Order: sequence, then structure tokens, then C-alpha cells
Amino acid sequence: MRRGMVIDLEKCIGCRSCAVACKQHNAQPAGTWWNRVVTPGSDRHLTPPDTGNMYFLPVHCQHCQNAPCVKVCPVGATYQTDDGVVLIDYDRCIGCRYCMAACPYGVRQFNWEPSNTAMKRYEYQDGYTFGYPEPFRLNNRLVYSPVRIKGVVEKCHFCVHYQEQGLDPACVRACPGKARHVGDLDDPDSRVSRMVQKMNGFTLLPEKGTKPNVYYLPPKRKEI
Amino acid sequence: MGKKISLTIFGLLMAAGALMWVFQLWKGLVLTDMHNGYSWGLYISALAFFVGNAAGGLVVSSMIYLFGVTALKPFARIGALCAFANVSAAMLIVLPDLGRPFRVLNLLLHPQIMSPLVWDVIVLNLYAFLSLTYLYLLMLPDLAASSGVLKKIALPVKDPAGFSDTWAHRLAPVSLVAAVGIHVVTAWIFSTQGARGWWHTAVLAPDFVAAALASGTAVVMCVAVLCYGPAEKFQAAFRILAVFIATAFLIHIFLMYNDFVVHAWYGADEAKDILAITLREYGPAHAFEVLAPLLGVALLLSRRVRKTASGIMTGCLLIISGIFVHRVLLMPAAFNHVPLTLAPLGSPNTHWSVPIASGRYHPPADTFVTHHSYFPTFVEILIFTGALSFVCFVVILAIHKLPILKKG
Repeated sequence: MRRGMVIDLEKCIGCRSCAVACKQHNAQPAGTWWNRVVTPGSDRHLTPPDTGNMYFLPVHCQHCQNAPCVKVCPVGATYQTDDGVVLIDYDRCIGCRYCMAACPYGVRQFNWEPSNTAMKRYEYQDGYTFGYPEPFRLNNRLVYSPVRIKGVVEKCHFCVHYQEQGLDPACVRACPGKARHVGDLDDPDSRVSRMVQKMNGFTLLPEKGTKPNVYYLPPKRKEI
Repeated sequence: MGKKISLTIFGLLMAAGALMWVFQLWKGLVLTDMHNGYSWGLYISALAFFVGNAAGGLVVSSMIYLFGVTALKPFARIGALCAFANVSAAMLIVLPDLGRPFRVLNLLLHPQIMSPLVWDVIVLNLYAFLSLTYLYLLMLPDLAASSGVLKKIALPVKDPAGFSDTWAHRLAPVSLVAAVGIHVVTAWIFSTQGARGWWHTAVLAPDFVAAALASGTAVVMCVAVLCYGPAEKFQAAFRILAVFIATAFLIHIFLMYNDFVVHAWYGADEAKDILAITLREYGPAHAFEVLAPLLGVALLLSRRVRKTASGIMTGCLLIISGIFVHRVLLMPAAFNHVPLTLAPLGSPNTHWSVPIASGRYHPPADTFVTHHSYFPTFVEILIFTGALSFVCFVVILAIHKLPILKKG
């Protein structure tokens, strides 16, 4: 089993619902974004670039098979599960941020301060909380916690806390364009594998040799 | 009296640095100017800087015991002492960079052997141990001949002078390997990272060695002239060190520009972008990292300048500060070039960077950014100053309390 994701850029409408759902479900501290959606070539999202065609690109952890972040982590806090998902053990991370220097996709986020002071800084209303309320341990490793301590790194975990309930990641469930699909990339007959094969699936920065488990399908035309 | 004043000043600066670290432990790394897209700053530059400065000690001892340059013998203990002080500072300055420093024990409990950071921890500790052993061995004859506490810590051997000399010879090749090793492994922390074009070059490790041999030897020369003055009997030793520093620095310049030429000639967008950060945006800093040490080298190579303590000091400090700026420049071109760049559809010649969530709250600035003009905060600068003062404090205290200097 190699858990993977396919994002159909033809279907992405750039609404950033995935980024919002991700942030809400995973109780991301103020200023932290595991998931972002951009308009390539344009400094303003949803604005056509000066030249070329407008499309939208969601970017989050690519769950690389040859993940530099896993290899640089001195304490094995960032690790790969048997199904290829890259996770972070919040209890073990020493906060050296080597993984952030190593990641070519800029998806790793650091807790520069305790999450409650970050919330205050952003002037969230007192007592407002959101996100999956329970800590989640996988094989006794803390891979999700609604409250973040300062000084550890975090990023997309393919909504590991929803997996055992048989639920897809929040971004997949929330996508109004139905642009996101998850499945087993090891199985050549799975829906995601067939999409990659038939619709020219590609990965980001293939030249870096990271072998992502997140594939994109190229956009053909774009309504504005 | 001078010693007391300087120990007090460096002691206070160390305390200030420690206090700032406690403050940072309490508030978080939010007190630094780093952010998600620019995740390493002054602390990691300082790691590379101190590691480089630690080179000098074993350079001197290997020159004496491997290559028979006996003129340097009076500086051997100073060398080992400077090596120990600097490599300790290198390990110390990493601690404030950690988000959870109290978990540093995880390095022993769950070491992940593929990580160059683990290799670095191993070689830095080994080097610290070796330089301390070397220092002890070199002091042994004087320790045995002294009284009181120093006599007690001396190894009871029949012929301390002979024992010291034999073991200094035996350890010299090991130390030389360890001395080269710390720079190579520290460079690998950076150069193994394919994500960062500025670091991902095979020339980085040899360049780290060359830069370290220049600055590390300059540290020893600087301390030596402070201790002994520019006396006539040391002129031969100062000349050897000056020539060595000059050679090492020129090799460093050659390796650096060799890399620039190769990348600039081919002219890929990524390389041009990266080079522009160092050469244009940080142009004045780059000019300093090259010109200041060149001036320092020119001064040290002049026989007249080497006759004055102030001349030697100025030359050495120009070289050390130039290499420091070189270490600071490790970061901007690595982090301000976003690795995830792409050519938007229908615009194949465009080179567009995908912005990164900064994770820091700056109301006038964007949430997603591609550039950050990093400048260390007061807290970062004070913590770095504390580590620098630690080096000075240890060196001065050891010279005061231990038989580091040759009498007469």
C-alpha cells in the first residue's frame, strides 16, 4: 500500500477551501498553513498572470518516497509509515529545523511561539478553539495534537487521525471542485493510479529526485 | 589586572547571553528574525564560524609533529586550547537554535544515522575530546614539574617530557583526520541538501576546510601574539603562520569563485537568481568577505607589519571577521531563493517562485512570502556575543591557570 493523492488542476477552482478545511480540522495555530493554493505566475491569487494562462496550484506536503526531511532528521521524529506517509512525532522533535532547510516544497511550519500566544497575537476571540479535539497517537507516537507546544515542526499528515475512521483527508472531503482524490498508488488498477497513467499525471520538482506521492493532473483550459 | 578586567567583561557578556537564552526559552524562537521560509540564521552561521575557528589548534600540532615544523612548538598548547574553546562554542551555539533544547538527549536515545547532523555531533565531540587530550599531553611535563593541584592531575609517568612527545607524535595523524573531518562533515550538513542550490555543490566541503584553515590559524596567531608579543625569536613562527593563512585563504577564494564561474557561465535561471542574492543584494557584505581578509593577508605577509603586535592583530582580525561574514552569507542565498519555482503554463521562460507561509505575524506583510530580509534580532546578537565571549573567557582563564605559555 502506497497512499497517494491526485490533484486535478483542471478541476481546481482556486477557492482555497482545502487550505481552510485543512487549517480548521488540524487546529493549525495562527499564521500556520499546511496547505496553500497559488496562481502560478501571478503575485495575486485568482488574478491572471501578465503572460501565460491562469490556473491554480494547491501545494502541501508531497509525502515523498525519497524524502529529504526524513533523511536529515537527527532523531527520527520525522518518519515514514509503511504506507508511505511522512509523519512528525511532536513528542520527539527537537526543533532543529533541518527538515525545513531540506524540504524543496516549503511546506514545513515551525511553532515559533506557543499556539495560545499566537492566537492572541492574531486577536482571535478568547475561548475560540477549532479542530479535531483529541491528540492522536499512531503506534504510540504523537502525530497530532490540537494544542501545539512551541518549538516543534509540523506539516500535512494526510489526516492520519481520520484514516482509521475510514475518512478521507479534510481537503479531499471539502473540495467543492472535486479535484482531489486519494488511493493506493501501488495498485495499478486503483482510481488514482489510472488517473495518473491516463491523464498525464506529473509531480512537482521531479529533478530533485524526491519521488512525491502527490500527483497533479495538468489543466487543459480554465474558466475565469 | 588586565586579565581580571577582561575575565569580568567576558563573564558579564556570557551571563547576558545566557540570560537572553533563558528569555528565548520562555518566549520561543519568535524572538529571532527567522521564519518558515528562512529557517536558519545567525546561530547556524555561528556554528560554521566556530567550527572553522577550531581548525587552528590541530593545524599547528600536526605541522609540528607530522611535518617537523619545530619553530611552531611554543604555540602548540595555545593551538590545542583555541581548538577546544572554539569547538565547544560551536556545540553550545546550536542549543539556542533548537526549539526544544531539553530534548537534545533524543540524539543519544534515537540517533538517526543517515542525518549529517548526527555525524556532526559525533565528530565535534570527538574533536573536543581530542583537542583536550592534546592540550593535556602537551602540558604534561610542566604539570609534573609543578606543585599543588596541577601536580595531582599529572599522569604519573617516569619521563613526562618523553611521554608527552611520543604521544603527541602518535596522536598527530588522528587529530589531523579529525580536524579535517569537522569541516567536511559540517559542510555536508549543507551541501547534501539538493533543495538549496547555493549549498548543493561538491566544492563546499573543500572550501569549508580552506576557510577554516585560514580563520582557525588566524585565531592561534592572534592569541599567540597577545601572549608572547612580536619578539624576535617568534618571528620565524609568525612568518610560517602568515604564509599558511595566506595560502589557505587564497585556496578558499579560488574554490568559491571557481564555483561561481561554472554556474554563471551556464547561466541557468536558478543559478543566476542565487548568485544575484550574494553578489548584488548582499554585494557590500560579499565585498567585505573578500577584501577584508585580502588586506589582512597582505598585512601579515609584510615582514614590517609582523614586527608589531598591533599589525599582526589587525591582520588576523580582518581575516577572522571576513570569514565570519562569509559564514553569515551561507544563509541569504540559500533561503531567499525558493526551491519550488516553476514556469507557469504558456509562459515557459518565466521563473516563478511559489510563496511560503512565513508563520510570523507581521500585519503589513503578506502571509505567503518569497523573500525575507533577515537581520538578527538583539536577542540573537546577544546570545552569539555570549558564545564568542565564552571562547575568550575559556582561553584567558586557561592561560591564567594552566601552564599554557612557555616560560622564558
